[in-house]
Amino acid sequence: MLSLLSYVANGALTGLLYALIAMSFVIIYRSARVFNFAQGEIVIVGAFLVWTFMSAFDLPVWVSVPLALLSSLLLGVLIERLILRPLVGEELFAFVMVTIGLLIFIRGVVLVAWGPEVRFFPAVLPMAAVKVGPLVFDRALVIGAAVTLVVAAAASWFFNRTQLGLEMTAVAEDHQIALSLGISVKRSIAVAWGISGLLSTLAAIIFLNGKGMTFLASDIGFAALPVALLAGLESIGGVVLGGLIVGIAVGLAAYFLDPIFHGGVAAVFPFVIMVVILLIRPTGLFGWKTIERI
Amino acid sequence: MLLELNNVEVVYSDVILVLKGVSLSVEAGQIVALLGANGAGKTTTLKAISGLLRSEDGKVTGGSIRFQGVPIHAEEPQNLVRRGLVQVIEGRRILPHMTVEQNLLVGGKVQKGRVERRQMLDKVYGYFPKLVNLRARVSGYLSGGEQQMLVIGRALMAGPRLILLDEPSLGLAPMTVTEIFELVERLRRQEGIAFLVVEQNANVALAVADHGYVMENGRIVLYGTGPELRENEDIKEFYMGMSISGHGKSFKDVKHYKRRKRWLG
Repeated sequence: MLSLLSYVANGALTGLLYALIAMSFVIIYRSARVFNFAQGEIVIVGAFLVWTFMSAFDLPVWVSVPLALLSSLLLGVLIERLILRPLVGEELFAFVMVTIGLLIFIRGVVLVAWGPEVRFFPAVLPMAAVKVGPLVFDRALVIGAAVTLVVAAAASWFFNRTQLGLEMTAVAEDHQIALSLGISVKRSIAVAWGISGLLSTLAAIIFLNGKGMTFLASDIGFAALPVALLAGLESIGGVVLGGLIVGIAVGLAAYFLDPIFHGGVAAVFPFVIMVVILLIRPTGLFGWKTIERI
Repeated sequence: MLLELNNVEVVYSDVILVLKGVSLSVEAGQIVALLGANGAGKTTTLKAISGLLRSEDGKVTGGSIRFQGVPIHAEEPQNLVRRGLVQVIEGRRILPHMTVEQNLLVGGKVQKGRVERRQMLDKVYGYFPKLVNLRARVSGYLSGGEQQMLVIGRALMAGPRLILLDEPSLGLAPMTVTEIFELVERLRRQEGIAFLVVEQNANVALAVADHGYVMENGRIVLYGTGPELRENEDIKEFYMGMSISGHGKSFKDVKHYKRRKRWLG
C-alpha cells in the first residue's frame, strides 16, 4: 500500500515536470499556431548551457543559471526570427517539417559542440531527499512541482490580466483580428518563443539536477507531448491538470502493469494515453473548440 | 480630407486584378456608404485602406491612398490603428474564447496606458450599455447583435478618427440593424468619428450616409449624396428590388434587367 502511494505521489511530481515542458509547447502554439517538435532539443541546449557556464567556465550558480536562462530566451527569439518568420503565411505542413528539421539540426549542433559522452549536470538544486512521513521524494522534483505551479499561475495571470498577455491571447485567437486592432503579431510570436525557451531551461535544471546526461535527454520533450495534447494545446491551467493525470497514470502503470509485463509499460503509457485522447477528443480536455452558438 | 483614394489598383497573388482604379473620399465626421454586389471589390477596398490586404497576399499596385494627407498604402496596420484608422472586419469577428471586457481591452491596445484604456472602456460601455452586464461573458456565446456591438465597441477602444465598417447588417434582424446604424450616426455626431460603411442593405446605409459610392467589378460606377442615391432608379432596381412603378420586382426580373443594362452604359 505504502509503495503504491509512493508510486502515485512520485508520478504526480514527474507529471508536473512534464507539465512545465508542456507549457513551453503550449505558449508557442497559442500565439504562433506552430507545434514545435524541437522543444526537447531546446531543453537540452538549455541544459548544456548551464553545464558550460557552471562546469566548464566554473562560474557560480547565481551567474550561470540566469545567464543560461537569458541565453535560452534569446535562442527562442532567434529561432523564431531566422527560421519561422520567413514562413509566415505558408501551409501548416511547412511548419511541421521545419520544426522537425530544427530538431535534427539542433541535435547535430549539440553533438558537435558538446560531444556524445555523458556529462554530469551540476547540482543546482539541493540533492538531499525530501521525507514526508514514510514517503521519500527527489528534492529537485518537489521544487520543480512548486515551480510548475507558480509558473502556471503566473502565466495564467499574464495571459488573462495583463495588456500584453491579452494581446498575445488575441493573437492566439485570430491573427487577422489582432492585426486589425493594431497588435504586432510578429512581436507577440517572438515574445512567446522567448518565454518558451526560458521555460525549457528551467525544466532542464529540474529534470537533470545532479544527474548524468547526454544529448539523448532531449527525449523529455516527447514525454511531455501527451501532457500538452491531453490538456488541449491552448490551456495553461489545463496543462497542470494534464501533467497530474499523465503522471499519476504512469505511476499506476508502473505499480500494477510493469510487474506483469516485466517492465517498460510505464515508459510507453503516456503515449498510449495520447493515442486515446487523439481518438476520443482531439482538442484535449481544455483546448479551444470552435464555439457554436445554440 | 480625412481619407482619399485615387485610382487605386489591387492585385491578389500577383495575378488577379481586383480593384481597377477606385477613387473615393471621406471627410472628417462623414458617413460614407460603399455599395455593390458580392464580389464587386468593396471589402478589398477596405482592406487596401487598412493594410490588412498584405496578410492575404494582396498588393496595392497602382494609385494612391492618403489618410490625413499622408500616403499609407505601404503602412503596417498597427501604425494606421495608432493614427486613428481602424477596420471592423466583416462577419462579426470577435475573439470567441475571450470575455467581452477582454475583447474591448485588446481593442484599446494603442491607448497610452492603463488609465486611458479604462477611461475609453467606460466611454464604450456608455455607448453600449448592453455590454456592461455581459462584460464577464465569453464572447463566443453572445447573440449576433451583441457580437456586432462588441466589434464596433472594440474598434472604438482605439479612439479612431475613421472606422471602416464592413457589412454590419450581415445576418442580423432588421430591428438590430436599425439600432446599429443609429449608433453609428450617434458616434459620428458626438465623437466626430467618420465611417466608411460597406453594405448590401442599401436602404439602411443610405438613410444615414452623407454620400455613397456604388461599386461593380472593381470600379466605382456611381456616386451621389445619400438622398440622391436613394432616389436613383438603378439603385432602387438593384438594391431595393423596386420597379419604377413602386411595385416589388422579383429577383429574376432584376437579374434579367441587369443583364440588359450595365452601369454607365
